[in-house]
Amino acid sequence: MTKLLHQVKLLGENIPWLKELRQNGRDAFAALGIPNAKTEAWKYTKPNMFLTDEFETYSAGNSANYQYDFPFATYQITFIDGVFAPNMSDLPSEIEIIPLAEFVMFDIQAKKLIGNLVDINKHPFAALNTAYLNEGIYIKISENCKLTKPLALVYHSTCQNQRPMSNIRNLIVLEKNAQTELIEYFNYDGDQKSVYFNNVVNEIYIGDNATLMHYKAQMEAFKAIHLALNCVEIKKSGYYKSFCLQKGADLARNESKVRLCDTQAKAEVNAAYMMNGWATIDTTTNIEHLVAETFSDQLVKGVVGGQAKGIFQGCIHIEPNAIKTKGYQQHRALLLTDEAEVDVKPELEIFADDVQCSHGSACGQLDAEQLFYLRSRGLDEEEAKAMLVDAYLQEVIAKVDNEKIADWIKLLLQS
Amino acid sequence: MSKPLLEIEDLHAKVDNKEIIKGFNLTINEGEVHAIMGPNGAGKSTLSYVLCGKPGYEVTSGRVLFKGKDLLQMSVEERAREGLFLSMQKPVEIPGVSITPFLKHALNSIRAYRGEKEMDTVEFMKLLREEGRKLNLNADMLKRSINVGFSGGEAKRLETLQMAILRPSLAILDEADSGVDIDAMRIIGEGVNACRTPHNGLLVITHYQRLLNYIVPDFVHVYTGGKIVKTGNKDLAEELERTGYSEFVKEQA
Repeated sequence: MTKLLHQVKLLGENIPWLKELRQNGRDAFAALGIPNAKTEAWKYTKPNMFLTDEFETYSAGNSANYQYDFPFATYQITFIDGVFAPNMSDLPSEIEIIPLAEFVMFDIQAKKLIGNLVDINKHPFAALNTAYLNEGIYIKISENCKLTKPLALVYHSTCQNQRPMSNIRNLIVLEKNAQTELIEYFNYDGDQKSVYFNNVVNEIYIGDNATLMHYKAQMEAFKAIHLALNCVEIKKSGYYKSFCLQKGADLARNESKVRLCDTQAKAEVNAAYMMNGWATIDTTTNIEHLVAETFSDQLVKGVVGGQAKGIFQGCIHIEPNAIKTKGYQQHRALLLTDEAEVDVKPELEIFADDVQCSHGSACGQLDAEQLFYLRSRGLDEEEAKAMLVDAYLQEVIAKVDNEKIADWIKLLLQS
Repeated sequence: MSKPLLEIEDLHAKVDNKEIIKGFNLTINEGEVHAIMGPNGAGKSTLSYVLCGKPGYEVTSGRVLFKGKDLLQMSVEERAREGLFLSMQKPVEIPGVSITPFLKHALNSIRAYRGEKEMDTVEFMKLLREEGRKLNLNADMLKRSINVGFSGGEAKRLETLQMAILRPSLAILDEADSGVDIDAMRIIGEGVNACRTPHNGLLVITHYQRLLNYIVPDFVHVYTGGKIVKTGNKDLAEELERTGYSEFVKEQA
């Protein structure tokens, strides 16, 4: 079961806490193994069916020049094949931003922040990520700072190496009253059938009254594996709003684990997925209301064609003392073919009275009346379907407050 | 002698395995306006859906030629591109599909089929504004999703606007007057008349005579029991308004 665990030389082996942390990751992953149909949290996704062969870890960065051209201004932080590329990055001066490899070696904060929000004994791929902990970025937005441009993390795969595996850990800290937009964009170059594995863990700390808008677009190559875990902790009156589009990869999961730790903390977790072929795309959320007067809302919409499989697992957990809490969740999916599949597991764990909580899930097909209407005006069937699919996802894309980012997401959807 | 636009011969069609159209015959020539009148449940909408090729409406026998071509062999969109248009009785709401880009796309699909060059956005917006003004549909309404939040009258005016933009050879108006107040009916009537040329035709389906005061028919057909039972001129419509359909329904029974 220790496949994927290789002996690699990582920097910082002489730092005892770091060495121990990585070893704990190795041990936890070795003990948990690659999840399969019997692993409750992964029973629909079955990563063991995809991770059948070895992946390689490459320590050296790729020298490729790559910078993504966003249709709006950003502070861009580029990773090429899982390695931070400082020359391809444009870092803002007003915030603290340090490559993880440096951060772990020189900053005493690191020990406190890394792994604090992640339970590696429950999340096998976070354990794997910890075993290889080295790449990633540490970002701190200090008190009262409001960034004027979005921070954009671009993860670019060149598809030049054989079956590479990248483990990336990002630490994002927003101090009191800080505000920023964060974009994560996963793309690739070259052969669309390239096989690679991106395993990302984000630990996000949102301080009192701080706001983070987190946008993600997963546009990996068709045979890639993409696993991401976003662990978010929100303090008093803090606000986390996310939108994740998943359109690529053979196997993908975007998991959001959000802890509402203090009163008036608020989280909105939204996602869209659109897929064809044989892809398996998973959206998993776990929202924990730990105290009274905390709020969460989720809208996830998917469009599944071909023989693809969409998965939504959403849990809202409300602690016994977390009264006057509101937690809502909606999942809807459109099945375009008879072979398309959607598996849904909503869970409400409510241990408090006096809460408002709801969830709903529905799967349907394109509306025949709407399709006929569009065709009767001269649109061919494929165009009409594409128009209705766009319209279907409109509702969730409308959750993206920044219009320029919303337009960019629409462009990615149509590409 | 003008050329025939639509020739329907002994058409039989069924929906959900029930025969609704039972031996329907009609020829519409260029420049003509035909009205089909009949009681509720006579299968008037079925006829319009069969002609437009709506899935689920099965033609069991008969022949339909549209401008000399076999209409029944064409897909829904081919019929539209050949110049057939249906103003629907109950236009469906399509949240998330905005009217303006949809209509531009529809027009250019039809133009491409005819070998005409694509209309650019500037030209299209000008056309849309002009035609919209005639139908009392302002630019803000045309930014909305198709029929979402539209009143009955607005939805019907939007149908008429699409007809004005797409300029079909034959337009079928399926109860363009239902759910519409008297002012909107006049606006629709004027809008439809503005589209008329010596080369296109109209098939107006209604069960009231009112709309025919605005769109004056050359022929009026009484349709019940799946076929035409009587044909006359516009006076027949007025007669029906007085006497109702009971005479014809009894004949059927």
